[in-house]
Amino acid sequence: MDSLNIRFSGSGGQGLILAARILASALVSEGRNVAQSQSYEPVSRGGLSRSDLVVSDGEADYPLSQSLDYLLILHEAAATESSGLLDEKSVILVDADQVKSQPAAPLNVVSLPFVETARRLGNKRVANIVALGALAQAGSLCDEAALEKSLQAMTPAKFSTLNMEAFQAGRQLMAG
Amino acid sequence: MSERRNLQGNQACALGAIKAGCRFFAGYPITPSSEVAEAMARELPKVGGTFIQMEDEIASMGAVVGASMGGVKSMTATSGPGFSLKQENLGYACGAEVPCVIVNVMRGGPSTGMPTRPSQGDIMQARWGTHGDHAIIVLAPASVAEAYSETIRAVNMSERLRVPVVVLLDEVIGHLVETVDLDDVPEGAEVWRKWAEGPAEHFEPYAVTEDMVPPMPYPGDGYRTHTTGLTHSPSGFPTQNPALAEAAVMRTTDKLVHHRKEIESYRTQDVEDADFLIVAVGISARAARQSVRDLRSQGIKAGLFRPVTLWPFPEEALRETVKTSGAKTVIVPEMNQGQLVLEVERLLAGQVAIERINRIDGEAITPDDISAKAREVAS
Repeated sequence: MDSLNIRFSGSGGQGLILAARILASALVSEGRNVAQSQSYEPVSRGGLSRSDLVVSDGEADYPLSQSLDYLLILHEAAATESSGLLDEKSVILVDADQVKSQPAAPLNVVSLPFVETARRLGNKRVANIVALGALAQAGSLCDEAALEKSLQAMTPAKFSTLNMEAFQAGRQLMAG
Repeated sequence: MSERRNLQGNQACALGAIKAGCRFFAGYPITPSSEVAEAMARELPKVGGTFIQMEDEIASMGAVVGASMGGVKSMTATSGPGFSLKQENLGYACGAEVPCVIVNVMRGGPSTGMPTRPSQGDIMQARWGTHGDHAIIVLAPASVAEAYSETIRAVNMSERLRVPVVVLLDEVIGHLVETVDLDDVPEGAEVWRKWAEGPAEHFEPYAVTEDMVPPMPYPGDGYRTHTTGLTHSPSGFPTQNPALAEAAVMRTTDKLVHHRKEIESYRTQDVEDADFLIVAVGISARAARQSVRDLRSQGIKAGLFRPVTLWPFPEEALRETVKTSGAKTVIVPEMNQGQLVLEVERLLAGQVAIERINRIDGEAITPDDISAKAREVAS
């Protein structure tokens, strides 16, 4: 049973766990099984934070990631911690400005300005949604409409327009 | 209507408790258990229940015991340092036979340790954390679906047997979100403790009954009763009469022996012809589940024995599983320096080789950790 392993990593407060939950919800609506785990430090904000999705058909034997098919790095704090789980097939989306220690070839790295794009849209806190849009574009992980529906359902209505703009901006960033 | 959804282990504990009729929660938030309290605070008022955030863990355990004596199914949730604080009042519940459920989500220790990192360091504390000889049941779920179903079983057994039940999760299972359909989870009928019936005159709150579970007087029903942490005679009043004192402790511990069959629960995977038997709980058992599959694909006959009821330990079942499989080696992976293995050694020493895998670095045991050990032993 092949599973799909996705990690959202960065700094606490960047909305990584929320982004993972939105994707997880969309995947479940399409009939997949998801195990979502998270790791964070005992601080109010900042510190290394990550959330993993193990996507499978039926309950996963082991619900934690042992290798990564997709990795998002939104902050320097998470720059190197996942390196042991990567291989040449892994797709790595990394913030171009926030991460100084950029992973390099032979890894498959896509460096994009997620946080800067969010800032241009008016709120850097939607960088997680910009990145989610890019990830969706990169991986065709699930139906776009399902993902947008989860995004709307799991975020405050007053940020609905901003979140949708962020999601589409992310898709366009990835599409180039 | 069947509804698949993503649910967190801690939240599943809260929903399971409410499903089983729990209507009182008193607690003090602590990572990594706080979501149990959050979910209870949100959900209990919807069903007419009561949520209280108390000033600390000692008081919250006291409130849970009091609410249960008042006739309401009650629960609290905590982690390491808070579990230590609850032991005094938990002991009172053991001694006075007050039904209640304690969810303990294990984090790194000792002391404040690593609040957000997983551990299985409370396996022995869950059994022996409070002082004195006492009866207690400890359940160890290994998935979100099981966090739900085992919390239901915890409430039901605490009611039926008048005994505190600990639901022991590790941080991984507590915080893990999995896709579940709660309609698929067998829940059984709702269970209530046996209430006192019949004439109030000469009522004895700790009467010796055939099933060893004394009926509990419902407050206001007119039964004169006395509840104390002191060792008590069937009258409920303290005694130091040696025969009565011995009988009082013996009955509460014999009670679980008497009801062992309904308390005991375990799962096996590929044990029939296993050369290597892995004994594990919680996330370590999930690692074992994949390790067994991986090892089998490499021609190494591994199997898994997973206690779901951790205490009382399913000792006959383990002995029988080892015997019928003919396993020569038992491997015990756990996130502590070796606690579960002590029980396995007690049961199997001299019959099989017993190998330990221990992690205390705040990381979960992986399938590769277990497979590597099995291959090492096999070579």
